[in-house]
Amino acid sequence: MKLTTLADDARIAFDNLTDFAGGRSGGQVRLGVAGLARAGKTVFITALVHNLIHGGRLPLFEPWRSQRLIGADLEQQVHDDVPTFDYRAHVRELVGNRVWPQSTRQIAEMRLTIAYESATFFGRNLGSGRLHLDIVDYPGEWLLDLPLLAKDFATWSREAFARARDPRRADIAGPWLAHLATLDPSAAADEETVAEAARLFTGYLAACRQDAHALSLVPPGRFLMPGDLEGSPALTFAPLDVAPDARAPRGSLHALMERRYEAYKQVVVKPFFRTHFARLDRQVVLVDPLAALNAGPAAVADLALALEEILACFRPGRSSWLTSILTRRIDRILIAATKADHLHHTSHDRLERLMQRILAEPIARAEKAGAKVEVKAIAAVRATREAQVRRGGESLPCIVGVPQAGETIDGRLFDGNDDIALFPGDLPENHEVLIRRVEALVEEGRAVHAEARSPNEASLAGAGGPWAKGASSGRAAQADGDLSPDLRFLRFRPPRLETTAEGATLSLPHIRLDRAIDFLIGDKLA
Amino acid sequence: MTDPKDRPRRPAAFRLDDAEIVTGGADTASRGDGRGTRVILESDDDAAVPAAPLPRKKRFRWGRLFWGTLSALVAMAIGLSLDALIRDLFARNDWLGWAGLALVGLLTVSALAILGRELAGIFRLERIDQLRVDAAAAVATDDAKSARTVVEGLVALYRDRPETARGRADVAVHLGEIIDGRDLLVLAESDLLLPLDRTARRLVADAAKKVSVVTAVSPRAVIDLLFVAVAVMGLIRKLADLYGGRPGLIGFIGLMRHVIAHLAVTGGMAATDSLLHDVVGHGIAARLSSRLGEGVINGLLTARVGLAAIDVCRPMPFINAERPGVQDVMRGVFPEAERKT
Repeated sequence: MKLTTLADDARIAFDNLTDFAGGRSGGQVRLGVAGLARAGKTVFITALVHNLIHGGRLPLFEPWRSQRLIGADLEQQVHDDVPTFDYRAHVRELVGNRVWPQSTRQIAEMRLTIAYESATFFGRNLGSGRLHLDIVDYPGEWLLDLPLLAKDFATWSREAFARARDPRRADIAGPWLAHLATLDPSAAADEETVAEAARLFTGYLAACRQDAHALSLVPPGRFLMPGDLEGSPALTFAPLDVAPDARAPRGSLHALMERRYEAYKQVVVKPFFRTHFARLDRQVVLVDPLAALNAGPAAVADLALALEEILACFRPGRSSWLTSILTRRIDRILIAATKADHLHHTSHDRLERLMQRILAEPIARAEKAGAKVEVKAIAAVRATREAQVRRGGESLPCIVGVPQAGETIDGRLFDGNDDIALFPGDLPENHEVLIRRVEALVEEGRAVHAEARSPNEASLAGAGGPWAKGASSGRAAQADGDLSPDLRFLRFRPPRLETTAEGATLSLPHIRLDRAIDFLIGDKLA
Repeated sequence: MTDPKDRPRRPAAFRLDDAEIVTGGADTASRGDGRGTRVILESDDDAAVPAAPLPRKKRFRWGRLFWGTLSALVAMAIGLSLDALIRDLFARNDWLGWAGLALVGLLTVSALAILGRELAGIFRLERIDQLRVDAAAAVATDDAKSARTVVEGLVALYRDRPETARGRADVAVHLGEIIDGRDLLVLAESDLLLPLDRTARRLVADAAKKVSVVTAVSPRAVIDLLFVAVAVMGLIRKLADLYGGRPGLIGFIGLMRHVIAHLAVTGGMAATDSLLHDVVGHGIAARLSSRLGEGVINGLLTARVGLAAIDVCRPMPFINAERPGVQDVMRGVFPEAERKT
């Protein structure tokens, strides 16, 4: 996928050069934290920074283990035009009020400076012993926009339709599709019609993200998280049913939509790509696979497709010191399945294996390009403990925690103060059947894309194509019920922090966060 | 999926004040209670299978039969002669007979005690061997459950060693958390075994130094031969003690055989990495004095044996820690000589 032009590349190189010249008082790593909505980005960053600043227990983070870590401190972030990640407010909420912080809906950045003692001779004598860690937090939905750079309006419309007509999305896409049928692309443009179409389209995208569907693949991402662009023309458009090579008559609806689509790419997607995305060194992709597993194989397949698209956006590769000045390459990607504390640890390996299986292809591609990829089940903040519960003759591996107020299970409502033990269900030990089903669905999803890209074949197949597929999917959907593991998750409150005898507050507990940090920046602290 | 046993159990929620909850904490969570259904972590088909140790060929061992029958005969002879002795003593005088009987009783008791100690030593060595095999398998498969078992075994092994208290406390904290198999072993290695490794390295260097010096100044070849043998055996013994083996005599002989077998395997590998160094060092030292050259050679030999003994005695393979090489050990032996050459 070619996303950049020569001019873009030149500007990216220039930006990198200025960064390089400006940041000489120590090493610098730009860590991108991406994840689809509700995957736990804010919590991940907050916990990472909190543990580093407060000297939390990170036994698998090598500099911590060998006590080379001297300390870490927040510093002014470098970009004046990007919001600062509001770390202190999030910590107050998380630690003080024991509620999960509000999710961020826009890009944010922060800089953490880590002081350490180098383990190498040169590092000790020549290095500054400091590492600037720039953490860039952005919604994963924005990543789904990046492929748009390579697509024109007609192609994108086609893909959007192909997805919307999918029987699994049919019920939520209904109103929009119905409205669309009344539109004539070659008719004169009318602002009201456009706004209505955009509203219905946005409603459909939002419905896709609801818990019941938990679908992930919903570009354009900025429609759901408009930020300060809300209501602007660049965000007021919708796909139209147009032929791939149709000429848009001047002043027609088609022409207007096409223009706005291009504006969206220019105003929203490109700046994001150039100023933030193309300058990352390390990347964490946070995924909440539990919600998808809960919603069934269709949601898992959709998640896999979305992640595949996301991972295809990255520019992975090994970077040398020279190339790192001009073009940055992401040389390590961590795919973190978050909220691992909602499962008993006996299921963690299975979760990791499941993720590895469904993402095998994009991972292999990134590794071929020279990047290191790791898949880990983590919990940035561990909200639960583990226990065994004996019921009847069997003992169930349970997690113990305080559910948030308003959560219900089996008709019981929780007030946010009671501890309960929850057996969340077992992940299947052998998920071959589930994986095969997911793989079939992913293939199907890819076929939809391919069909949209080669419109001639699609038109040959005619209207019968999607419906025929619909019938087979309907049958398969029945089988899906048996396949999806019977899982139940509650939202637990953040843990109460213990204080030591001296009154010092201990750091946030976590699962494998140390391992994640070691993978992401451990080598930079060597 | 159709087998009811395979079907996932249904999710359920329980109140904490119910008496059903038996255990808390991650370290106890993986243990079932025998009666209930246990969650047994088994790796999938696609997961790496632990490398099974090659089955040793079961052959009839004539050597064992020979030694067994011989010792049985010797025991019978001793018994017979003792019996005759006691009878003779009784024939001569009653009190003499009773005294002899008492002595025989004491002899039996002490023999039993020695036997018990030997057996305990052999079991300890076997336990360490088993720990090492299990640890290697757990590292290969990254299996959290077996790693946990290995680490618990390791902590139990060093329970009566006060100098490991700090390491054991650290490891106990790790055991309470959710950590992957290989990572847990890496942590246990760095907390428990690294201090011991440091001591072991020093022991080997000291022995090598002593052997070199004695060889260089001793007037007779027989004396160095004897001294090397004694020093090497003492070194192996000390290393075994250090890592928790504490073998008895029979266990020690077994250990010696182990070390020599290991030396035969690794000797070839070590030769490639430091042969040049050895030859050059020996050449220069020999030119200065032939006795000094012999001293260097003997010191190197001792160091090799010591390193092989570390491999055999350590209850865990080297996972993340660096395996000491001859260079590391010999560096401390001849600081002056090194400076001269």
